[in-house]
This record gives sequence, structure tokens and C-alpha cells, in this order.
Amino acid sequence: MGRLYAVEVVYRGIFQKTLAKNITRAIVLAAHRDGKHGISFGRYGDSPERNGIPAKAFAIVGDDEVTLEEGMAKYEPKEVDVTICVDDTLCKGVESWAWYGLQPINRLTKPGGTLIVTSLETPERLIEMSHRKDTPYKLAIIKAAASFSGLWVYKDDHTDARILGAVARVLPELFSLGSLQETLKEENPKTGELLAVSAQKQFDRTSTVGVAAGEGNTEVPYTFEMPKWTEMREGIAIPGIPAGAAIKDPVTGEVGGFQPERNPTFKKYLTRTMRPVVDFEKCIKCELCWIACPDSCFDVTPEKLYDANMAACCGCGVCEAICPVEKCITMVNETAFTDNASQWQAFRKDAPAYKSWLVTVIENRPDRSHGFRYRGQYEEQIKQEVSHG
Amino acid sequence: MAVSDRELAELTHLKTPQKLDPFKGVKKLPLEEYFTSGHRTCQGCESALVMKLMVKAAGPRTIVLGSTGCMYVANTTYYSTPWVVPWMHTQLGSSGSAALGASAAVRALIRKKKIKDEPINIIAFCGDGGGADMGVSGISATLTHPEYNCLILMYDNESYANTDIQLSGSTPYGAHTTFSPPGTKKRIMHHRWKKNFAAMMAAGHPTCRFVSTVCMSYPVLAMNAVRRALSIGGPTFIHSLDPCPKGWDYDPMLSHELGEIAVETGIWPLWQVEDGKLALIGKTRDIADNRFKRRPVRDYLLKQGRFAHFTDDDIDYFQAKVDETWKKWVVPGVIPIAKEVDNDAPPV
Repeated sequence: MGRLYAVEVVYRGIFQKTLAKNITRAIVLAAHRDGKHGISFGRYGDSPERNGIPAKAFAIVGDDEVTLEEGMAKYEPKEVDVTICVDDTLCKGVESWAWYGLQPINRLTKPGGTLIVTSLETPERLIEMSHRKDTPYKLAIIKAAASFSGLWVYKDDHTDARILGAVARVLPELFSLGSLQETLKEENPKTGELLAVSAQKQFDRTSTVGVAAGEGNTEVPYTFEMPKWTEMREGIAIPGIPAGAAIKDPVTGEVGGFQPERNPTFKKYLTRTMRPVVDFEKCIKCELCWIACPDSCFDVTPEKLYDANMAACCGCGVCEAICPVEKCITMVNETAFTDNASQWQAFRKDAPAYKSWLVTVIENRPDRSHGFRYRGQYEEQIKQEVSHG
Repeated sequence: MAVSDRELAELTHLKTPQKLDPFKGVKKLPLEEYFTSGHRTCQGCESALVMKLMVKAAGPRTIVLGSTGCMYVANTTYYSTPWVVPWMHTQLGSSGSAALGASAAVRALIRKKKIKDEPINIIAFCGDGGGADMGVSGISATLTHPEYNCLILMYDNESYANTDIQLSGSTPYGAHTTFSPPGTKKRIMHHRWKKNFAAMMAAGHPTCRFVSTVCMSYPVLAMNAVRRALSIGGPTFIHSLDPCPKGWDYDPMLSHELGEIAVETGIWPLWQVEDGKLALIGKTRDIADNRFKRRPVRDYLLKQGRFAHFTDDDIDYFQAKVDETWKKWVVPGVIPIAKEVDNDAPPV
């Protein structure tokens, strides 16, 4: 038996579907040039994908066909040589839509394996976000903002080529840089030469940081037991969600407003890549964010303010778009936060402290782009990114 | 209670199930949610908003039946639900029969005194695939039964969105779908015009007392349509246009805005037919009365990746087709019969 290699790409559903496919496909084709056999596939349980909800694609490669067959017999790899995370907010954990609970980003990474992340953050911040692991692993960062586009129009900003260059560097046994460049040229008749240059550059500049056993986020990811079918009611019925109730002001004890009960088995902590930050002093109580939120994420407070609940918000940004007051609701990159606490409670307990927190968080936000807004936008963005180096 | 044959035929005019006053604005809406958080739809899903507002308008005494589609699969995976009110899945094309059956069942239970005699709303929803394509016969049959109170609501995201965007009868001209990928040799792979489904239901079912189009970018209008549909009596139908960030390929934060633009460009007219009388509503009314100038369809098309392959020629064609619905149709944007018919000289 030969060696079996596995690489996973953890990505944002739909936004990065084409990107993940490009990466896993090129891995298999490049490895094939080096005499190996492989297959790339998206995880069945993630399909049909939803915008922003984490999904996975895999590339499995064997030294020979029998080894590959052995790898393919598993539903998905139990461990991988390289985990590629194409959006740094996923370092906080993976909460895919057909699986329950939250899984660490490095869960499948082999002892001594590599986690490659596209990010503008520091290694320290990424390690702090990723859950701790019992075994050491390595971290490599591709300096770039997460590349987001949609189902039909692809943003060709060379993120795929750069990641592949990094894979060639951290796992040279899988495929050589030369084979990768040949693959890129053959697969992309028009842009292949440039892609090969991007792969080369990233190959040259990729370095890794060691992450020690036990280093990282100490939070225990939330899990729960799925009830068995035998525990369901007659007619395979399950209980509905209870009605919600009024909420209590943490300072005055006043009770009022409304907080809906929510589905306990799917909290959207990690569907989100941005979150709304609300300046409650600017709120004119027009209620538009509350009524337009598809996820009913706004809790109505006793004084009729609207508090985005982080167990329910999926970060779509409709509230920011619909809010008539400038800078009342601002979408901020999820990497800026370490918890999911209520903003309104913080505001009620200490308004000046909340205000200064708000300003810091908004000013320091790294930009994010969530797909197609107008024709020609991706080309403009790529030009900007190139001019910023 | 003995009812004569004649009375039976006119039953809905004898008895309306309940009185649901229209909401007087966003600030007068109830705070309670009956479709809550924790569903697995896309970021910025307008169809999820349809569910939320539909059942908020209906209130807690409501049974919801959902045919297969995003709003079934994404909302209610294994042992999990965001519904506060009772909800049941029904098959892809069967929202019509499910609505009728549930309504008949509730009536029977009340007659047998197994449940309290009170107005219970029955709402069956379907997507454009499950409704306008597969469910037409069932919905049509249900709308001919004036003695059963139920609402069929079609959330139209203009494709089979759940299974990754296959073309449906409601997909607009030229849109990129899994079944109509634009190629280098041939650009436009979908040549059919969108089915005018709500008008079909209104024109084809004279005893159906209420048919309406809505868009959740106008939440109060939409919710009041639901309240009217549930209180007027008999089977009713509502057709909602839902921008879909996944299939239309746009930044989810634009969901609300795209719904508005669809109405402002005249692509999605808002109207209702109540007891055989048609009324254009909101911005659509303003367009028809020349109080609001229709926006060019370019504003709508260029914001969506599914039309990214359109040339200026394609955009002009799309504009001309929309203009035609406003200038030539007997009712602007609603009844696709040319006005010229009126002016034809009778045969000598």
C-alpha cells in the first residue's frame, strides 16, 4: 500500500463554492502529473449549499489506485494532511447546516499537519480564534482578504493559485510546484501563465508557524445529543418552538419588549462573517431592521430598541442596508469579536464604555465584500487589491 | 344545519370566517414571532422573511403546510424546526390538495366537536417550482372549492433554488441557471418569458374571492394581503416575489432593495383581485397613474450575477418586453391581452 493524502477546503457555501472546487480539482490534477491518483469532491451533507453557511470540499490522493480506493471507501476523510481555510472567520469553528453543533477548524488536521488560512490577521489572532488541539500542528497564512463571489460570476483574484502554491510548499510530497504550474496553464488557457506566477510567488513566500498542543481557544464547542426517532411523538411529530416572552432590563429591572424563543439546535454563531453593531443612541425606533430581518434576530427591548441576538444573526447585512440613519447599524468583520454577548445589555450597564467600544470596533474593521453588487465590481476590487500589493 | 343547493353554491358569501383588520403601519405590528430564528436558509433569504411575516400576519391560531422546496428543506431538517405554530410537510406539487384537505379536516373536527369552534387559519405554501410548475392542477382545483377556507401562498424565487438553481417556469428571460448556462457561442440559453401565474389564478377561478401579488420589501402591504386572504372566506391565493441571493447571485444585503427595484421597474406589479375587482397597489398604482416614473430595467439587471452575460441588446429587449406589459396589456402589467382588441372593427 502506498501513502494516502487528504486535503480539505473549508469554505463559505455558495460564496466560495467555485474557489473550493478550483483548489481541490487542481490538487488532484497536479498530483496526477506526478504519477499519483486522486479524486476531488464536495461533502454530500453540505449540499444544497446556502450562502455563507460553512461547507467542505476534499481532495484525496493515493500513490496508487488501490490506496485511492481505500481512501474513497470512507464517506469523508477522518484526518487530513492539510486543512485549507479560505475565510479566516471560519477559524472560530465550523457549523455546517446538515450537521449539528460546532466543530473546530483544525478537527481533521493530522498531528504535524498544516492549517492554511487566507487572512489579514496576525498568526497570534488566528491561533487565539482556533480551538485548542491535543497535538501540535502548523499554521500558514496567505495574506489576503477572503475571496467572496457568487454562484455564477467568479472573482478571479488568484486566491486559488496562491493557495495551491502554498500547498506545494508545505506538502511537497503531494505535488511539485512545476506540476502545479503546468496544470494551471493547461486548465486556464487564457490566464494560466499569470496564475502560475502567482503560485510561484506564494510558494516562495510561504512560511509556517508552529502551534503547540493545547494552544488556542479554550472554549468547548457547543454540542448536543440528537434525539432518536424512537423518541419522537406519534406521527414522527416533534415539539414546536415555544412562544417567546418579554425581556428584563439589566439595570432598572423593567420588563417589556419581546424576545422570541429560538431553535436550540441551530445557532448561527458561525454562519456569520460580519455582525451588526448598533449605536443605540442613534436609533430612531423606526423598526425597519426588526421587520426586515429574515432571521428574526432582533430582540425588542423594554424601551423599544432593537438588539441583534448573536445566536440568531447570520450576518446578511439587510439591517445595515435598510436603516435610514447613518452609522446606526454598521456591519463589522466577525474577526473583531471574541464573544456573542448582547450589545444592548452592555449599553444599558455602561453607555459611555459601550460607546467607546463601538467606535474602536467600527474604526478597526477590516473591509469585507460579500459577492456581486454591480457589474464590473470584481475587476475594480482586483485592481485595488493589486495596487495595495 | 340543512343547506340548500343554491345556498351551498353561494356559501362563502353567506359566512366570512373571521375579521382581521389591516395593520396600520410598521409600528402597529405585533411583536410575537411564530416563525422564529434557527432556520438554515441563506444569508439575506427573502423567502424566510415571507414565512416570518405571513404567519405574523395570520397569528397564533394557524396551521402551516409546506410543500418541498427551500422553505421545507432549509427550515426543518432532522429533529429541528423554527416554527412556533403547527407545521407539516407535504409533497412537492400538493400544496393545493394539502390546503383543501386540512381545511376540510378542521371543519370535520369542529363539526364532531373534537376541537373548539373557532377560526383556524390554514396556510399552505409552495415555491414557484412546487406551485407554478408542478402544483398548478392542485392549486387550481382548490380555488374552485368556495366552501373551504384556506390560503395558498407561493414564494417565487424564480428557480428551483433548493436543489441549486434549476430553471423553472417562473425564471425570467435569459437568466443564468444550472439549466441555462450562457456559453461562448450562445449567450442566451433561456428564451421563455416568466409565467404570469397570479393572473392565471385570478382569471381562471371566478369564485375565488382574493388573489394578490406581494413583495416583502413592502411588508405591511404584504401582511395585509395575508390578513385579507384569511378573512374573506373560501380559498385564496397570494404570489410573492422573493429576491434570492444564491440563485440571482447578489450580495445578500441587497435583498430588500432588489424587491423594491423589481416593483419600481414595473417588472413585478403589485395588485389584488377582490371579489372580481382588480386594484393596482402601492408603487405599481403610482406608476399606472403617472405619479411615479418606471425605473429602467437596467437598474435591476446589472445588480444580479444571473444577468451578468447580458449585452446592451439583451437589456433593451428585456426593457421592450416590460414596456409592452405596461403599454399594450389591457391592465398594465397584469392581464397579458393586448388593448388593440378593443379597437378592432367588428366583422361586417
